[in-house]
Amino acid sequence: MTCPEEIVEYMHDYLDEEISSDSERILKGHLQSCEDCRNYLYELKKAVSYVKVPASITVSSDFTERVMASLPQEAKKKGKLKG
Amino acid sequence: MEVLIKDKIKQVLKGNQNAYSYIVEEYKDKVFYLCYRMIGNRHEAEDLAQEAFLKAYVNIKSFNLNMKFSTWIYRIATNLCIDRIRKKKPDYYLDAEIAGTDGLNMYSQLASDTESPENEVESMEMQETIQNEILKLPEKYRSVIILKYIEDLSLKEISDPLDLPVGTVKTRIHRGREALRLQLRHL
Repeated sequence: MTCPEEIVEYMHDYLDEEISSDSERILKGHLQSCEDCRNYLYELKKAVSYVKVPASITVSSDFTERVMASLPQEAKKKGKLKG
Repeated sequence: MEVLIKDKIKQVLKGNQNAYSYIVEEYKDKVFYLCYRMIGNRHEAEDLAQEAFLKAYVNIKSFNLNMKFSTWIYRIATNLCIDRIRKKKPDYYLDAEIAGTDGLNMYSQLASDTESPENEVESMEMQETIQNEILKLPEKYRSVIILKYIEDLSLKEISDPLDLPVGTVKTRIHRGREALRLQLRHL
């Protein structure tokens, strides 16, 4: 298995949507012929898809209320007292 | 959206505290997700998210209106999480396990109607494994990966809240993604 060294770098650039069109063409061409690299890219994509938090984990419904209750009381109007 | 948020911030600056609730509503989920992935425990993540919003409020005068509010609140939240991680380093992995248990209770309550059987990622053991693997990432990789994948931020948008050059963000994302690939490929 002799894959060009830069292929993995191209995969990352591709995932960051920062790949040049030339590099993308090389990457795609290589992936068509290399199952190992296809699998490698699949593993990268799979790994990051796990980072997203599933919709079933949600913040408590009273979150905003609790934040608002924690805020310091607004300072009462001062200033004019001392004339 | 940004315009509306800026308007609310101006109202807060004028002393209308209630306008802040709109801002919290708008960003609470993202900030919570960020904290959850950084810290691995649902309750602690809520506390940290709450602290982040409180801190943002107290310091709202120093917010630069030319900046995106999201950038600012993500920065505050990320820093709070990193502080927390550093403080509790010795028993850190122990806590990560507790995080799983915490999730288990919540999952068992929700499981019946929200979980689709074919979706493995939603299963509790799977989530626990994923979270533990994410927590194994060094924090400098963890924060960039989380910012990128919680909200699909661009490299530039990640570099702002973390005060890092884009090149550094890029390298860290690549390394973090490689580490995650190796850790999660068997799932």
